[in-house]
Amino acid sequence: MSRSYDRALTVFSPDGHLFQVEYALEAVRRGTCAVGVRGSSCVVLGVEKKSTLQLQDPRTVRKVAMLDDHVCVAFAGLTADGRILIDKARVECQSHRLTVEDPVSIEYITKHIAGIQQKYTQSGGVRPFGISTLVVGFDPNDTIPRLYQTEPSGIYSAWKACAIGRASKTVREFLEKNYTEELSRDEAIKLTVKSLLEVVQTGAKNIEISVMERYGVISNLEQSEIEKIVATIESEKEAEAEKKRARIAATQAGQASMAMGSQAVSGTQTPSAGGAGGAGGEEGHATVPGEETGAQ
Amino acid sequence: MARRYDSRTTIFSPEGRLFQVEYAMEAISHAGTVLAVLSKEGIAMAAEKKVTGKLLDLSLAPGGEGMGGEGTEAWMGGGGEKIFLLNNNILAGLAGITSDANSLVNFARNSAQRHLFTYDEDIPVEMLVQRLCDMKQGYTQFGGLRPFGVALLYMGWDPIYGFQLYQSDPSGNYSGWKATCIGSNHSSATSLLKQDYKEELTLEEAKSLCLKVMSKTMDSTKLSSEKLEFATMTLHPTSKQPLSKIYKPSELDGLLRDLELGGTEEDAVGAMEGTGGGGGGNVAIST
Amino acid sequence: MECSFGLTGKDYVLLCSDMSAGRSIIRMKSDENKIKTLGPHLAMAYGGEPGDTNNFAEYVERNMRLYHIRNHYPLLPEPASAWIRRTLAESIRSRHPYSVNLLLAGYDTTTTKPHLYWIDYLGTKAVVPYAAHGMGVYVSLSTMDKWWFNDMNKREGVEVLKKCVDEVKKRITINFNFNCILIDKDGIHHINIESEDPISEYEAAQPKDTVVEAPNPPLDVGVTA
Repeated sequence: MSRSYDRALTVFSPDGHLFQVEYALEAVRRGTCAVGVRGSSCVVLGVEKKSTLQLQDPRTVRKVAMLDDHVCVAFAGLTADGRILIDKARVECQSHRLTVEDPVSIEYITKHIAGIQQKYTQSGGVRPFGISTLVVGFDPNDTIPRLYQTEPSGIYSAWKACAIGRASKTVREFLEKNYTEELSRDEAIKLTVKSLLEVVQTGAKNIEISVMERYGVISNLEQSEIEKIVATIESEKEAEAEKKRARIAATQAGQASMAMGSQAVSGTQTPSAGGAGGAGGEEGHATVPGEETGAQ
Repeated sequence: MARRYDSRTTIFSPEGRLFQVEYAMEAISHAGTVLAVLSKEGIAMAAEKKVTGKLLDLSLAPGGEGMGGEGTEAWMGGGGEKIFLLNNNILAGLAGITSDANSLVNFARNSAQRHLFTYDEDIPVEMLVQRLCDMKQGYTQFGGLRPFGVALLYMGWDPIYGFQLYQSDPSGNYSGWKATCIGSNHSSATSLLKQDYKEELTLEEAKSLCLKVMSKTMDSTKLSSEKLEFATMTLHPTSKQPLSKIYKPSELDGLLRDLELGGTEEDAVGAMEGTGGGGGGNVAIST
Repeated sequence: MECSFGLTGKDYVLLCSDMSAGRSIIRMKSDENKIKTLGPHLAMAYGGEPGDTNNFAEYVERNMRLYHIRNHYPLLPEPASAWIRRTLAESIRSRHPYSVNLLLAGYDTTTTKPHLYWIDYLGTKAVVPYAAHGMGVYVSLSTMDKWWFNDMNKREGVEVLKKCVDEVKKRITINFNFNCILIDKDGIHHINIESEDPISEYEAAQPKDTVVEAPNPPLDVGVTA
């Protein structure tokens, strides 16, 4: 009976699982998607943001937060947990500056966040944090962009490109397929938007992009800029699809003429257009409408 | 030994949900409605009281005749069972388990005073909301405790953002709004608000929108001070400092008469039995 | 062995501090920055027991920054002064009190008013239109009493400050270098008080360099070796 092991504390089940941690990861998967992409000299954070309701104040919807001048974090999972964790990290950033007179390095603060998350998987009477984070930034006196991810278990890892939250698997596969080294700023932004479009059906209005270009320099893209990027991506896709259609039509015509020629008749069916599409593996990921208790 | 921590609050379900938090939200959807509307000139808030018996003596209880008031008077005995002054510049309306609400109000007032002590200023609205939400979040993560079964609407003013309206729920989430509602029938009330809310409302319009939506939401024909609490947050005309006002029953009845929404005192007690109830779905789900 | 002045004007506040560091009659350094930027519109000039001063200033700086990053807006001058005063008041009642005196200057962006606070190591706070700490008190207060008036423009304010600096140079045997800043609606600007016409220089330099933006980059004012 595994039931009794996933109840109280985060304890091992007989087959070596920490159920609470795994369930916390589920909570992360119920949050909206966040993507981080590292370019050659910049790092881009893209998040799926829920559309604010008509009467809501958009100022209070925060999925991306600054920890310090040079560290930015995005999270997926339970919003309230995120706020608490971010607050702890912010205190650490300033406390670090006070004690050693240097800003934190990105790895240091990631390790700190992951450390807190780990503590909550092993201490008495607490549940783990239901959030994953993407930490991006530049180390002081350094030009290499950094991108880290932390998980509820307390694992942290460095990435070239990474996704967390809803449908992160799809997005990550997309990134694996499309990531290239040495992306320029624009390419990195485009890849981020493109990967987010894998899960965000509604386009630019539900996407938020932050770009960190060097130490302490971060900017959020305007809605209009994102719209422009989305538009180019759409038109490229359109062109791609057009080409594909043309190719299929050509093959079909060829096959038809072959069939005509050989006069080998009945029963053989030409493969339908949809089946021949082959590369359509990553289209239209089903979305679960995310009306969750505080999942973001 | 593990039993000691075996409270269901602190654990995720296999789908990554926190059931206790969701149940707490359920508790709120049965509570009296609280509704608030923001305008450039101030904020209006109305709350539905659920009085349980005809013989309940309201004259001495906070909110009975003679209670409420403006500015510092609003401190006297608080507003009643639904609307409380948390600080000079912040009023809150609560929906949910009343005893939980009382302890939250106490905590909020303490936080506000602590801030006053260290910074010599009224606590900024969002900061107080965050203080409360941090505590509420703690109660969803640490062992042996259940979450607070309370949702709140906060209305306040500070020099940074001016008038603000926030809503918070048992999970420890909060969000800012122009007009919103918690408690029973909140979803229908919210859609009514969405329909009728206009940017650039005056305070008078906000007050009347607030009460009109309230009268449609509560399934009783006539509103009266017996089943309603009402408060506003404005700026003092000369000092430009925040001025909170919790309406006295007589003032509220006057206002209701002016808006032709009721306010007569005779039919009150009988009509209020069986009001509210029914709320559908979760309250205060974050967006 | 130190002196600092502060002075409010119509829509700005000036803060000026000497730059010497030393012990007893010995000067070890004459380019020590003793003005700490605490936010986009807030700074303090501090003096007192060496060591305590830097330690305390950094502590305040980090707490102000934490407040800023947590709440997305910086602490306004009034609550900041209350916090600093309270910190000192608690400190003096502790086992290891800080011995730090300071002038806190800020510009309130919500009311567009300049603020100046005189705070000492005992936890005294006074809201003042102009003030001084250290040696300069003996010669500059009377100067400011005479020349300061309400709603001075920038040029007039700097003139008064220059008079104080001149008075210090004339009457006090120690030779000081001065570091000066001006805080207005645009933020914190460096002023070269030793030059002939600081305000023209400041205006000429306006469009670029000296404007300090929030929250980046990390803020620093004056010359620090």
